[in-house]
Amino acid sequence: MKIRVAILSFAHMHAWSYAACLRQLPDVELCGIWDDNRKRGREAAERFETLFMADMDRLLARKPEAVIVTAENVRHRELVERAAQAGCWVLCEKPITTTIPDAKAMIQACAKAKTGLGTAFPCRYATPVKLAREKIQAGELGEIHAVTCTNHGQSPGGWFADERLSGGGATMDHTVHVADLLRWMLNREFTAVYAEVGNQLHRRDLKTDDLGSLHMTMQGGVQVNHIASWSRPKSFPTWGDVTMEFIGEKGVMRLDAFNQKIDVFDDDAGRLTWDGWGDNPDLGLVADFVEAVRHRRPPSVTGEDGLRALEVTLAAYRAARTGKTVAL
Amino acid sequence: MKLALIGCGGMGALHAAMAKAAGFEVVLCADAVEQAARDLAARHGARWSTNPESAARDVDADVVAIATPTPTHLPLIRAAAEAGKHIFCEKPFCRTVRECREAIRVAKKHRVKLFVGHVVRYFQEFEAMRHKIREGRIGNVGWVKLTRGGIMPGGLDSWFRDYVQSGGVTLDCMIHDFDWLRYVFGEPERVYAQALMRGEPHPMDYAQATLRFRGGLIATVIGIWAYPSGFRVTAEICGEKGMLRYDSNDASLAVHPRTVATGPTMIVPLNPVEKSPYQMEWEDFANWLAGGGEPRVTPGDAMAAVAMAEAALKSAETGQPVRFSGRIDA
Repeated sequence: MKIRVAILSFAHMHAWSYAACLRQLPDVELCGIWDDNRKRGREAAERFETLFMADMDRLLARKPEAVIVTAENVRHRELVERAAQAGCWVLCEKPITTTIPDAKAMIQACAKAKTGLGTAFPCRYATPVKLAREKIQAGELGEIHAVTCTNHGQSPGGWFADERLSGGGATMDHTVHVADLLRWMLNREFTAVYAEVGNQLHRRDLKTDDLGSLHMTMQGGVQVNHIASWSRPKSFPTWGDVTMEFIGEKGVMRLDAFNQKIDVFDDDAGRLTWDGWGDNPDLGLVADFVEAVRHRRPPSVTGEDGLRALEVTLAAYRAARTGKTVAL
Repeated sequence: MKLALIGCGGMGALHAAMAKAAGFEVVLCADAVEQAARDLAARHGARWSTNPESAARDVDADVVAIATPTPTHLPLIRAAAEAGKHIFCEKPFCRTVRECREAIRVAKKHRVKLFVGHVVRYFQEFEAMRHKIREGRIGNVGWVKLTRGGIMPGGLDSWFRDYVQSGGVTLDCMIHDFDWLRYVFGEPERVYAQALMRGEPHPMDYAQATLRFRGGLIATVIGIWAYPSGFRVTAEICGEKGMLRYDSNDASLAVHPRTVATGPTMIVPLNPVEKSPYQMEWEDFANWLAGGGEPRVTPGDAMAAVAMAEAALKSAETGQPVRFSGRIDA
């Protein structure tokens, strides 16, 4: 059976990658695109040879089995609820949304409609990450005592820089991936969060924060530092990174999830660029989602997972605001 | 100038060589462990002693260098100051701010010059980064990450493993970074830190700290005594116009010995320079003794670094950030 998937909004650039993944997978059809930005939606529809619809109800009336929601963060809830009401499985871009009540409402809407809700955490599908998790869970490092992580990026600008649409800056954008990986790799929940958050590097052109240094404690006392940032300069060789250093009783493991690259010295570009050659994690994410739809099961990374990661992010903002450690 | 060296371990041996290169004459090597004192003394044609306190008062010496475990610094500084000796003290200055203040007081009272070896201020790579920051190459700096460390130092019975004595990686190792941050970016406002301080079966320490400075800078410092081997320093400095990055493993020279010992094989990356930063700190001290200007690091600076480390340890204990109030260098 061919699974028909629609994409709601191309506001988030990841939509382009997810659309490409849908077209790569067998027995899947990208059956239509809705976008409140008609120009953007039409462009995407043309590129991926599918239908553009300016009226979301008309698109949902065509009964896609599933949708991918890649709108601005604060719009996730509305789109997910409407898709769930239409009986669709939903893959929602991260962060799941920007408030706890919204996230709970989204989870509830999908539960009520008996559809599956997934959060787009593609890092779980990065091959080096999967191997790192296997090693931890096989006990190769012994008990994990401490982890130091980064999720750096370049400043994305656009709606990401508008708190009314994004719910926050780099800390909102770049905490959830790593928070989710830590929960998944260590099988533990977070118990406390402290953070220093600020607009450290873009005071002229950005109203949100561009950096958070988060200190977290996980069950069993695992101590974690994570840097969520938009600190990479425009001249940086790539978009950013996801790194984790694990300090275990029996050993140390350093993960640089996207460090599978070729140095490209390009005179035309006038700078060094890093071109990746590793597996595409987005493909694993989208493939899992499609299989979930096909077998009417929840996606492997659920809405609950999205909620847990959001809780950490919001606790970091609260800690930064109050100057105190926040218990979870 | 004649130098009595107290503490003939790894740092003591290094300081003896560097002091000599800076024009000092090593006349006495003292260590509670006789063999260590004898071996180093033989290398420098000096006398040896197993009594650190009397070495601090040695009549022949003009200057005393202290490279002993941190909690012994204050009594040795006091003994040397009372005997009228100028003092070179390895970092950390003392175990606590209270001890630092007392050390400064006795040095002042006896009119001796006191220098604390915050050698990172002399490291060429750190100087290069500081100059680039000052020249505005990356614009206003908003975030810095410094990491430092590697294997747990010392042998199985080492004093480093007694965290009460050493203060762990936070006081002994990260103090370099605390000092350098304050040197370049000014006064800290608050610190939050987590520290591992594990005992048996595998003693290791690993600390993560974030500091907020009065100018708004956020600095993240990672201190490591937890790697199975090696030593590594990294720096990442982000400004509005760009970013500086340094990694000691990305070195100009690396030696890979073919012989495999029973323990882990350690590949030590080398970045050789004509003049060691340790020699430069000794020359800076010598210049001050000779009537030149104040050295790059003052006892007040060294005390401030201890204050930052102490605050980090307190934060790690309480799970809450610790604020600095008033001047921490006086």
